[in-house]
Amino acid sequence: MTELGFGSRLPYGSTISPECIPIPSSIIILMIDSTHEGDTYWSYPISLTCPVIGIMVPLSQWREEPIISPACGAQTNTCDDIFQSSILLRSILRAPLSAEHFQCTEMAVTESPFFALAATLGGMFPRCASDLVTISVAPERSSLCLHPSSGCTSRDVRPSEATVKYSLLGGTSSSILVHGFPWLYGPPGGEVQPWGILNGIVESKMQNSAGISIAPVRIMAGIVFKPSLVPYHQWTPDVYEGSPTPVVAFPPVTSKVAASGLATRIFNLLSPLSGEWHLLPEILAILSTILGNLIAIAQKSMKRMLAYPPISQIGYITIGLIAGNPSGYASMLTYTLFHIFVNLGALARIALFSSRTGTDSIRDCAGSCGQDPLLALRPTLSPSPLGGFPPLSGPFGKPYSSWCGRQAGLYPLVPIGPLTSVISIYHHSKIIKLLMGERGGRKLATPRTINKRIPSLSSPHTPESLIELGTMPRVVASTTLGLTMNPVTTTARDNIPNQIFAHTATILMDFGEMSSE
Amino acid sequence: MTAVNYLTFSTILFLLAIGGVLLNSQNLFILLMSIELMLLAVNMNFLVFSVLLDDMMGQLLALFILAVAAADSAMGLAILVTTYRTRGTMAVEYATGMKG
Repeated sequence: MTELGFGSRLPYGSTISPECIPIPSSIIILMIDSTHEGDTYWSYPISLTCPVIGIMVPLSQWREEPIISPACGAQTNTCDDIFQSSILLRSILRAPLSAEHFQCTEMAVTESPFFALAATLGGMFPRCASDLVTISVAPERSSLCLHPSSGCTSRDVRPSEATVKYSLLGGTSSSILVHGFPWLYGPPGGEVQPWGILNGIVESKMQNSAGISIAPVRIMAGIVFKPSLVPYHQWTPDVYEGSPTPVVAFPPVTSKVAASGLATRIFNLLSPLSGEWHLLPEILAILSTILGNLIAIAQKSMKRMLAYPPISQIGYITIGLIAGNPSGYASMLTYTLFHIFVNLGALARIALFSSRTGTDSIRDCAGSCGQDPLLALRPTLSPSPLGGFPPLSGPFGKPYSSWCGRQAGLYPLVPIGPLTSVISIYHHSKIIKLLMGERGGRKLATPRTINKRIPSLSSPHTPESLIELGTMPRVVASTTLGLTMNPVTTTARDNIPNQIFAHTATILMDFGEMSSE
Repeated sequence: MTAVNYLTFSTILFLLAIGGVLLNSQNLFILLMSIELMLLAVNMNFLVFSVLLDDMMGQLLALFILAVAAADSAMGLAILVTTYRTRGTMAVEYATGMKG
């Protein structure tokens, strides 16, 4: 392992260099916006360039061994780099859709790319968070920028309602989350590093005290809101329904990916404190996978219906997190990548579809195949990976997470994957049948023609080229990622986040319990 | 007053704020104020532990939380202003446009 002392600042600083890239880009956007009048479409190439450079940095720093700081435990490793790259990838995929949307609505405000960059930066920080200060500030940093990006640019009633609900519920959950941290700081004797906290708890023999027991409960209650596990999922359908379709997936997906990285850190800290810590996330994972699929059946809005599969998917991701073994982390990471591509792909295709139908209602899409078969094929393709039709990515991710659950002895979680896949396939098949066969839907409008005002991004073809451009990699990735997941799985299995810390901490806590007896 | 009294006080503040979030059905501002009250209770806890342990890190954490609370309230107020412009009301009971 690469041991870094306090003096060697340069190699240590290079671990946060990907986080440093969005900061000057955000400042440049703000400065140009405040001094420049008129067209503001220039901000989109900047917001696209920044994550592209950012994703190159972890790839150029690719290493096999984790960087360890003696003061802070494990700082960063390849697994964290993959998490970080997935957030940046998410930001890259978002840019064409957002540009297209604001071009169509003629609301080219710079707030949207600015908030997206700031939220990306906030989502990247949890992967190197290793003390209470960073762990408590990083989720706030991300969520504060995600709240307005869900609909601040729209003057409609529904986006503003979605933003209000998201920001108020998000603020409440963040407050509950940080209320657990003083109880990890004070009772161990003023420690902020995970090592120090566990040492302090063992030395003061406070393993079973009320304060230490309450802290994990509060932290857990706060942290499960961000990936929208049931019963904290209510904000996700509202954000999906309220936000404009091309930009809708940015806040929920970024929040989920960032929360997965943060939860890895926090659960590694909590797992030695309580032997039964995984009971609560286990129940929430079961509820999420079942209810996420069941509630989706009853939905009448296409966008709202698409909000529920991600809720069930976060249940599968949680299974890998609870398993806590190398395969569990690998399944969590691969399913997160599936989650990004599949959901963004589905929403991009729905965006194309709803721009022609002018509605989000599922019923109004009936029989669209007869009018435009190619257009109807797009939303037909999107449910396939969500539902788990082979040979797409879904069937590879679900059995893998179930297998990890079985390996870790989490037997109640094992049958959940196949069971919920059946429900998911049922309701997605209903939509395909509606699009292909039934009658009574709206007549499709002719595609819009708009002026191309984004010279650096637009292709010389159709006006919808930006959305189509953004859709193409998602379709390819969501269909073929299952077949090419082996390198990601192997890398994740070999580079477990905080594995050494969790193992040593468990030994430390066992030693503390033995000495107290 | 002992540290336990201060911690009890901050816990009461936190529970009051939770009650404000759960029971309020009148105004969105009250929700925002309840969130601020929660963060103040967190700050109170950090400061009590910091003074009790004679450790500066607790005050640093409290400052960070204070900055987050300020950003949260600024963002919340901006969102509420936008909402008022579009909806014309701040009542919680009318925020029922999306269900399901």
